[in-house]
Amino acid sequence: MTFLIRQTLIYAVPLMIVALAGVFAERSGIIDLALEGIMIFGAFIGVLFVNMVQEAGVFDQAKADGDWLALQGFAMLAMLAAAAAGAVFSLLLSFASVNLKADQTIGGTALNLMAPALVLFFIRIIADQNVLNMARGDAPSWFMLRKTDLGFSRTDDLGFLGETFIHQVYLVTYICILLFVVLSVVLYRTKFGLRLRSCGENPQAADSLGINVYQMRYAGTTISGALAGMGGFVYALTTANCSSNGDVAGFGFLALAVMIFGNWKPLNIAGAALLFGLFKCIAASYTSIDINGDGICMLKEIGISAHVYRMLPYIITLVVLAFTSKKSRAPKAEGIPYDKGQR
Amino acid sequence: MKKLFAMLLAMAMVLSLAACAPKEPEPSQSGGGTTSTTETDPNKIDDNPTSADGKYEIAMITDLGDLKDKSFNEGTWNGVKLYAHNNGKTYKYYQPANRSEATDDDRYNAYKAAIEGGAKVIVAPGFLQESAMRRAAIENPDVNFIFIDGGVMQEKPTEYGADGVPLPNDSPVLQNVAGILFQEEQCGYLAGYAVVKEGFTKLGFTGGGGGTNPACCRYGYGFVQGANAAAAEMGINVEMRYSWEYGSNYIASPELQSMMQGWYTAGTEVVFACGGPMFQSVAAAASANDGFVIGVDVDQSGDSDTVITSAMKGLAQSVDFALDKYFGNGWSSIGGESTSLGAKEDAVGLPTASWSMKNFSVEEYETMLAGIKDGSVSVDADYSNLEQGYSNLTLTVE
Repeated sequence: MTFLIRQTLIYAVPLMIVALAGVFAERSGIIDLALEGIMIFGAFIGVLFVNMVQEAGVFDQAKADGDWLALQGFAMLAMLAAAAAGAVFSLLLSFASVNLKADQTIGGTALNLMAPALVLFFIRIIADQNVLNMARGDAPSWFMLRKTDLGFSRTDDLGFLGETFIHQVYLVTYICILLFVVLSVVLYRTKFGLRLRSCGENPQAADSLGINVYQMRYAGTTISGALAGMGGFVYALTTANCSSNGDVAGFGFLALAVMIFGNWKPLNIAGAALLFGLFKCIAASYTSIDINGDGICMLKEIGISAHVYRMLPYIITLVVLAFTSKKSRAPKAEGIPYDKGQR
Repeated sequence: MKKLFAMLLAMAMVLSLAACAPKEPEPSQSGGGTTSTTETDPNKIDDNPTSADGKYEIAMITDLGDLKDKSFNEGTWNGVKLYAHNNGKTYKYYQPANRSEATDDDRYNAYKAAIEGGAKVIVAPGFLQESAMRRAAIENPDVNFIFIDGGVMQEKPTEYGADGVPLPNDSPVLQNVAGILFQEEQCGYLAGYAVVKEGFTKLGFTGGGGGTNPACCRYGYGFVQGANAAAAEMGINVEMRYSWEYGSNYIASPELQSMMQGWYTAGTEVVFACGGPMFQSVAAAASANDGFVIGVDVDQSGDSDTVITSAMKGLAQSVDFALDKYFGNGWSSIGGESTSLGAKEDAVGLPTASWSMKNFSVEEYETMLAGIKDGSVSVDADYSNLEQGYSNLTLTVE
């Protein structure tokens, strides 16, 4: 059970944060298909940052001393770098769709096509191969929190909650959850959030009340870019051993699905991401999941083909979509370039 | 508008900075051709040397995965580099297009590029290269091919009847292809024997190629036999989980990593990661759970603290051996033949220089190795017998 929850969170959190990225862009009126591309770019910059800082040996002492606070700080910095890269990269999309009034779907697709190529190009220059790894060590030994870090001994039993939520977890996971909550509040409970959302529903009306629609849309996509970049890095750190290869296994598109599935609302998105993460986790490790702790892995014993489990996340998506899509309501003005003259 | 341009410009600068920053000035080495000093550390030899006439006589075509996979490709490449560097030959590597999804056409194009680039002898690791190599070898009889992990090559591929029995194949043997096979079951056996003697009782094996790669199958089958033999000697029972899942492309993946997380969480103590870059996923999961990993093909102890030992095969040595035959006019002794290298030739084993096991000593290992060499310890290579009843081992194939 502990394992299942931990592993579900690892899959769900990048999805959640990237889906929220999509919400920010779409609520401001920009269709953000580029999530995948921005994730790839953010993951690359984050991994590159880790690699270069390791090469420079800045945190070697902290690693040798087991100073986990410094190492977590290192992970935060890398996440910030990834967020900054994502924000900058997303400016391409906002420039095309706000200033040039270009078709947003095409703009996003262009970024999705460009990101993997660009990233692979850089990785080939830097590492002379197709994967950029950490300069040394592996992600868990550098960035994972264990109970021994917090002063417990290896054999201490922290109870169910302790074992699940403070042993073998990544701090970035929690930072993302915190960010998710804060930003959801910002979107729904602040002046800025209201204005942003109004630009996605009826930009003409918003403009007539003195809101700068262009500015709001820039803000929306830039926040979106930062979150997606961050999500990309978190994905790379927690599931791919902090490596970048111009690919995030379609997580950007999955996040897009999660966003639609969650009806552009944060709470629903969190639920959808957890659901998807859960099934993704079951698909990959059903043979080792022991729910009630009696040492018997039930799902393995049933003897259903592995392929069925692997299809599950996608089948569940289809089923849930079939039931919820009637109520689905996209922001009204998304995808339509704002034209002052049409007021 | 101005602001935007400024922003775009700034972005372009950031991007270009990212591009140049990490490119460290490499010590200038003419790599091949001119140097005469003997180098023993392959990492000090340039991977991308330029030759004066733009021709490269030794070429290597990589298998699936990257050149620097810290495993199969890299081990072979190190052999090429060392031989070429120390004997003043020019060398170059070619990666077939489409990375892990490379098709036979992609590979054939890589062969063509290599031959157009002046290759006289081509080193090709990986049994997947067979059909592309056959085409290239028939079209270019003056170019010689060293086929690592491959056998004798005939003009027509051997076909199989409905019952899986090979049909007679009397097409001529290609004399310009030299096959080199390893007895991986022997080092797999040694690794399995060693970890059980070390005190582990819950083992795992995860292999690449989805169970279609004979080398990986031999490693795995040997591993099982070795573990069983050690358990029988100690009078204990051991468990082994055995899987080909998420290995078909020999790449690291989030799915593989969470499957391994599951294994280690469920009690598996040491996993034999038998598929090049798959090692990354296994090592990450092991590190998170304080577990251990057995490396493959080359000594991988430098890549992760979780590596307890590695089942090695002498890729570099075999390349050196074959290239030496080629340049020393001894090609006829290996061309059109399949050379099988095992413990007898010192081509398989565990790394003794980076020994980290405490309960199983190097001396005990040497005794075991000697046993395999003189035949007193026999290791079955026919991996179709994998799923049999073992005296002291419970095998769960997943």
